[in-house]
Amino acid sequence: MSDSLSRRSFISLAGGTAVALAGLGLVGCGGSSSSDTSSDSSASSDSSAKALSGTVNCSGATSFQPLVEAAAKKFEDENPDVTIAITGGGSGQGLSDVRDGKAQIGRSDVFAEEKLDAFDVAALNDNTVCVVGMGPIVNSNVDVDDLTTDQLKGIFTGQITDWSEVGGTAGKIQVIERKAGSGTRATFEAAVLGGESAPADFAPVAEEDSSGTVVEKIQQTEGAISYLAFSYFDDTKFKALKVDGVEAKAENVCNGSFKIWAYEHMYTKDADEVTQAFIDYMMSDEVQGSMVEGQGFIPANDMKVKKDASGTITNA
Amino acid sequence: MAKRLMPKKQLEGVGLILTGACVLLVALVVITLIFMVAQQGLSAFFVDGINFFSFISGTSWVPSDGVYGALPLIVTSFGVMLLATLFTLPIALGSAIFVVEVQPGFGRRIFQPLVELLMGIPSVVYGLIGLTVVNAAMRAIFGEEAGTGAGILSGGIVLAVMILPTVTTLSIDGLAAVPNEYREGSYALGCTRWQTVWHVVLKSAMPSLMTAVILGMTRAFGEALAVQMVIGGVEKVMPAGLLSPAATLTTALTSGFSNATTGSVQYHALWALGLLLMAMSLVFILIIHLIGAKGAKNRG
Amino acid sequence: MASETTAKQGGNDLGVDLDDHVKRIDRQDRVATGILTVIVAFVLLLLASIVAFILVKGLGKALSPGFLTTLPLADENPGISSEIFDSFYMLIVTLLISVPISLGAAIFLVEYAPDNWVTKAASTAIETLSSLPSIVVGMFGSLFFVVTLGWGISIIAGAMALTMFNIPILVRVIQQALQDVPRSQRDAALAMGLTRWETTRHVLLPAAMPAIVTGIVISAGRVFGEAAALIFTSGSAAVNINFASANLSSPRNPWNIFRPAETLAVHIWKLKMEPTPGNDEIVWGTAAVLIICVLLFNILARVLGKALAKKMTSE
Repeated sequence: MSDSLSRRSFISLAGGTAVALAGLGLVGCGGSSSSDTSSDSSASSDSSAKALSGTVNCSGATSFQPLVEAAAKKFEDENPDVTIAITGGGSGQGLSDVRDGKAQIGRSDVFAEEKLDAFDVAALNDNTVCVVGMGPIVNSNVDVDDLTTDQLKGIFTGQITDWSEVGGTAGKIQVIERKAGSGTRATFEAAVLGGESAPADFAPVAEEDSSGTVVEKIQQTEGAISYLAFSYFDDTKFKALKVDGVEAKAENVCNGSFKIWAYEHMYTKDADEVTQAFIDYMMSDEVQGSMVEGQGFIPANDMKVKKDASGTITNA
Repeated sequence: MAKRLMPKKQLEGVGLILTGACVLLVALVVITLIFMVAQQGLSAFFVDGINFFSFISGTSWVPSDGVYGALPLIVTSFGVMLLATLFTLPIALGSAIFVVEVQPGFGRRIFQPLVELLMGIPSVVYGLIGLTVVNAAMRAIFGEEAGTGAGILSGGIVLAVMILPTVTTLSIDGLAAVPNEYREGSYALGCTRWQTVWHVVLKSAMPSLMTAVILGMTRAFGEALAVQMVIGGVEKVMPAGLLSPAATLTTALTSGFSNATTGSVQYHALWALGLLLMAMSLVFILIIHLIGAKGAKNRG
Repeated sequence: MASETTAKQGGNDLGVDLDDHVKRIDRQDRVATGILTVIVAFVLLLLASIVAFILVKGLGKALSPGFLTTLPLADENPGISSEIFDSFYMLIVTLLISVPISLGAAIFLVEYAPDNWVTKAASTAIETLSSLPSIVVGMFGSLFFVVTLGWGISIIAGAMALTMFNIPILVRVIQQALQDVPRSQRDAALAMGLTRWETTRHVLLPAAMPAIVTGIVISAGRVFGEAAALIFTSGSAAVNINFASANLSSPRNPWNIFRPAETLAVHIWKLKMEPTPGNDEIVWGTAAVLIICVLLFNILARVLGKALAKKMTSE
């Protein structure tokens, strides 16, 4: 509770100084990033010293668009002759745009391997700018706090249909799925269903294609369960569950104990100077520290485990 | 005199060319649109080899797994459209009759401008209200059966409100166009107002009322964002009833495009849905023309 | 009706039946009127509650200091200033394109149109345009204007998509307005030896102007709220616009028509889809602003129309 509250108040301060950050005790993954601040600010002043100019088109996934928008604004303020033109469109759009050269950066919340031919993937450069954790969420009235992976699997494949089967008060479980083909659903199914998908005859009560409608419906519907990126967690509206006793928190994702997470990718193809400078800026601690965490994401550098395109997890 | 005539003729020519060019431009854009949508949509069948009949009759739509059966989407699209029409028709017709026959002054000066205002409310705003109010109402009325409250019924209700102004305004115009002699004749025979409306006015306004309804249906069929917020979006199975969450052709498009890469089979399949939508709106236009032709014939 | 008449005649012989019948149809009439009144009251109530609901939920935020004047990317208390600018700018660009074309097309159809298949095809094309779902227009725009013509996700691509909605509405309004000009005025002008073109320019258009202006402003209200087609053509990302920028080709220059833009309606949709905590307030605040704009358009349309008509008759 206090964690989410402080994050919420933090968002209003997004872009605040690292000092304020440390004061709030919000450095998600053990605070390792704040120690690098000095080396980093010199890196960013280096890039601005070259007087960059040009336009970078960046299209794709909407899930971390606010983060990129915030970073782009700072980057533009530091480099007045640079424009980062951001558009949405979804991961599919972002990947096709960068493949076809229509955008210099394509944002995606899935690996390019899932959407493009191997030949096209080979030409792309993958920049994993941050990690997003996702956790199961339920309506606030559900009196279950913890589910095992097997129980989750049962619920999302239609085997378990009543809350009493998992230790709660009897009541129908209303499963709200995400749209098939979305990055969020792919991540959840890979981690929870072990790559299987729900049987064809199992129909959830809704299959939403946006986190917004999920929040609205979870909040209103008795007995509802779904899953959502940490960045949208809001204790005032719904309840996040533990999985196998592990709390859905950034530090648990970092140390590998919480399994449902994905990279947010910014793909480039033969990046020019400005594009590369912006990518470098995204990876710098200026963004990776305060901004990434402020928006509810996890800095990629803090991860102690890593995932490849086929979903295999290894220690970093 | 002859000298004056030449520039006049030229002037006439300039006018004709200028205005004709505008018409031509519009026609060209429409033709380009039809051509491009058809080209992209048809390549799903001719390039990617999706079977047209299994596309139309397949009962599951999971583009990310290469399952392209658009029947659930087609059925839902027609379902919400018919529901919306069913809800809207009595209300629109009733208020049109009131406005034209009972209180023309109030109707023209106050009611009609207000209804036109309803037409100006953006569809995203209707979606917002639907998400907060209509879905909650569905759950309050039907309980657990309604799931999250999202479903065909919710979609139908939101669309009904959205097409109400269109159908009402056009119905008012249709009723107002009925010549007054008809009414006077009926009153002269001693008929009451209701009898006059029911037996005379409605009958002679029938073609324009049908046009009003079909234009409303066209709008309901093509609406995307408002429906998407309230309908639940389940594409992989046939809807089982009015409370089932489902997806329409339009909502499958808005949600599908974000996950498809250009040029992929999935992308073309989405265009094929767009082609279906376009074909349907052409059919609606055709129906309106047929009604118009029949109405003209009846009038002699 | 025939059966009613016979019933009446039958009643004449038996007195009582006629009274009964009159009572019955009178009651029928009253009940019908009662039901109609209820329906009309329901419609008005519906309208009032929709507007009230939005205003109650959003007016507080909409009027909060800085909401209308702060950029959406501001660190603290993000506002909707660039969305407001983009909405109006996009509307103006759309009207600049669609009004002349519609005017030309409508004049052609009313004044020149030869009665042949070309004219029929043209009016069918315009009708088709009016029935196309906005999402199909958006898809077409994303392919034709954005990719084929190479304009990219931009204001001009969005304005062209909006133009496609606007043209059929405008053509119909202008056509109607021109046809409503009294026949005698047209005949008088033509009899004086004026060409059709002169008649249209100097007689018909001025006479039809009040109705045309009203129609344009009302259509503007509708264009203002469109979202589905714009998501694909002008984008759904707030632009960090820079009013100090002098470089017209910079995507941050507010007047550059080749930059992406986000209108109010799209902003609502985007924020609702990505529910970062705190978004709800902004969503309803934006909705309230949008509704107020549409209200203003409607009032403006009527006031302008009346004022123009008054000026015309006084001249």
